[in-house]
Amino acid sequence: MPLASLFHAIQETEFATAIRESALVYPVIMTCHLTAIALFGGMILMTDLRLLGLAMQSRPVADVVGGFRAWKRAGFVIMVTCGILLAASKADSYYGNPYFQLKMTLLALVGVHALVFRRSVYGKAEEYDRTARIPPRAKVAACLSLLLWTGLVCAGRWIAYFEPDQKPGAKPAAGQVFLNRASRS
Amino acid sequence: MFAYDINTNPMNTIEWAFPVAECVHIVGFALSLGTVAVVDLRLLGLGMRNQSAAQLVKDTTPWTLIGLAIMLISGPLIFSSNPVFYVSNSAFQIKMVCFLLAIVFNYTIHFKVAMSNASPVIGKLVGAISLALWVSVVAGGLFIAFV
Repeated sequence: MPLASLFHAIQETEFATAIRESALVYPVIMTCHLTAIALFGGMILMTDLRLLGLAMQSRPVADVVGGFRAWKRAGFVIMVTCGILLAASKADSYYGNPYFQLKMTLLALVGVHALVFRRSVYGKAEEYDRTARIPPRAKVAACLSLLLWTGLVCAGRWIAYFEPDQKPGAKPAAGQVFLNRASRS
Repeated sequence: MFAYDINTNPMNTIEWAFPVAECVHIVGFALSLGTVAVVDLRLLGLGMRNQSAAQLVKDTTPWTLIGLAIMLISGPLIFSSNPVFYVSNSAFQIKMVCFLLAIVFNYTIHFKVAMSNASPVIGKLVGAISLALWVSVVAGGLFIAFV
């Protein structure tokens, strides 16, 4: 499988190996990944909740969408950069991991979401403020965004719990997997 | 004597309970940290200039609290899966100290400075301290699995 060997080649690069084998670098990158999710993922949630009319109602939609845009972009770049480094360092096991595949699918759908709704919803924030009305299309966009991003977080977390070689029935509880992993390192 | 066997805790007996709690925890702190960060970044003068920090605090306060509530339900559930392990884990100990500091700071100095017309220098200092404290909480939480 050419893709599998590509993933293997990535993992075997000196750079990816260095990340994997460092006791400090790997968790630090993971911390950056998670911090970006916390800070900028929170802003994605707030933007969507504003479109749904649930949060920051006293702020114009244009201020919320426009005010968060630059930060969300910066956050996305940090998030993806760290994500690539994390995945590259363990590319072999990520290759066959269904939750990683699911996560990448959801990420692609985030791209589709942007293509579909960027102009038709997020670009029309000022119009929504003028007419004081948020159309159903914008609410659909917000709901889909909420679903996609919570899905991304969950799929990401589940990557760590997938064990390909485990026999059915012999699977320890997930909490135990975490603690085993914790005690190993 | 109160005897607690972690093996009977649903967090350990139900296979998906632990990761679900983690996901809920992450979404919870995305909400609370994301909203606090909006105020912090405004205090640092890095954006949202159409709004004052005070307005942003008013707008985000309920969502910060909702995020905190989600965190404070999911966090103790995760903790309950193995209290002995967590209590003796140095990253967890640091996380709890940072978390307490962050909460106290957030609802005292941070709140006061954001709501007043404090000088930009003080605003920046407070925004930076707040961000640093919350990022330490995230880092502490993550390092639990690595120390």
